[in-house]
Amino acid sequence: MSECIVVTSGKGGVGKTTTTANLGVALGRLGAKVAVVDADIGLRNLDVILGLENRIVYDLVHVVEGSCRLKQALVRDKRVDGLFLLPAAQTRDKNAVTPRQMRELVADLKKDFDYVLVDSPAGIEQGFKNAVAGADRAVVVTTPEVSAIRDADRIIGMVEANELPEPQLVINRYRPRMAAAGDMMTKEDILELLSIPLLGIVPDTEDIIVSSNRGMPVALDDSSRVGEAYRRIARRLTGEPDVPMLDLSADQGWWSALKRWVGLQPAREVVG
Amino acid sequence: MKNLVAKLLGRPAANSREEAKKRLKVLLIHDQVDLTPAQMEAMKAEIMEVIARYVQIDPINTEFRLERADGQVALVSTVPVTRVVERPATA
Ligand SMILES: Nc1ncnc2c1ncn2[C@@H]1O[C@H](COP(=O)(O)OP(=O)(O)OP(=O)(O)O)[C@@H](O)[C@H]1O
Ligand SMILES: [Mg+2]
Repeated sequence: MSECIVVTSGKGGVGKTTTTANLGVALGRLGAKVAVVDADIGLRNLDVILGLENRIVYDLVHVVEGSCRLKQALVRDKRVDGLFLLPAAQTRDKNAVTPRQMRELVADLKKDFDYVLVDSPAGIEQGFKNAVAGADRAVVVTTPEVSAIRDADRIIGMVEANELPEPQLVINRYRPRMAAAGDMMTKEDILELLSIPLLGIVPDTEDIIVSSNRGMPVALDDSSRVGEAYRRIARRLTGEPDVPMLDLSADQGWWSALKRWVGLQPAREVVG
Repeated sequence: MKNLVAKLLGRPAANSREEAKKRLKVLLIHDQVDLTPAQMEAMKAEIMEVIARYVQIDPINTEFRLERADGQVALVSTVPVTRVVERPATA
């Protein structure tokens, strides 16, 4: 049974593209056939995050306009068996595609792939409508900030208005230490406010920036902890029950020990 | 001793996490129901008028507010009923 999952957020820049790329890689590594679709037409990004920008010949708009076949536009990721990218057009705008065309495109992809992941553009307009059109369910990405959570709440309402089931939440750029110090909303705060199920937590880390410089998603790197966070999220996405949260407590030094002793720092920082 | 060391290490003065959460609670409700504070006041006044036709109430301690749980907004109110039974002062 194949499924189309849209990755969306409302607010821009919270990590939709990074999430889509890494979940695509992680699902592929689990043995699934995966198509990642860049629905951010005019602001193509998923190709560079995946490091596939030099291999693009055709794009999504070419496919819906019939100037190439779907198979010709799909870019194969040589690092991950079964992972393909359908790039967005860079020189067109959101109105080049209709929700109906997206639905047909996704239906075609679902014939060949186990998972179709759609990277939604920011906002609640045409681009969002196109991105959710063919989806069976949604993953909402937010950061632990007031504006991002407010927009996430809006998007959750719109996902449900589009007759999709209750979406699952990814909290991105989480800083366990700030949350523990009372300087950032905690995972519990966010879940209480948004009241949708948690799919996973991704820490704020420099690794993500380094990996985007290289076009090498962290989920490819077995030694990366944030990569492991994405791999666990992918397992939860496939429905694997009880995937444990990742323990991200990195501080073992005497300074942290001292802070822990006086109660300024929690004993453990669990993320994942 | 513990407290002193905590102070030296710099315990955060204000807790911005609580503030963020409090602001969001209000924000999400108002985004969802689209009711202005003025409309809320008008609704409160009308509801109290109706209740006052049946029982005696304490308007000072009456409370009306919107709350959200599991994505559902509810109007939560506390209206103290002062069952002051008027008795003629016989003595
Ligand atoms: N967990 C993280 N830690 C550190 N940086 C991150 C993390 N997640 C995302 N970023 C950075 O945030 C920026 C935005 O990420 P990304 O492009 O994935 O967001 P987006 O939601 O797709 O944005 P847009 O709305 O513009 O499409 C990037 O520079 C990325 O490197
Ligand atoms: Mg993006």
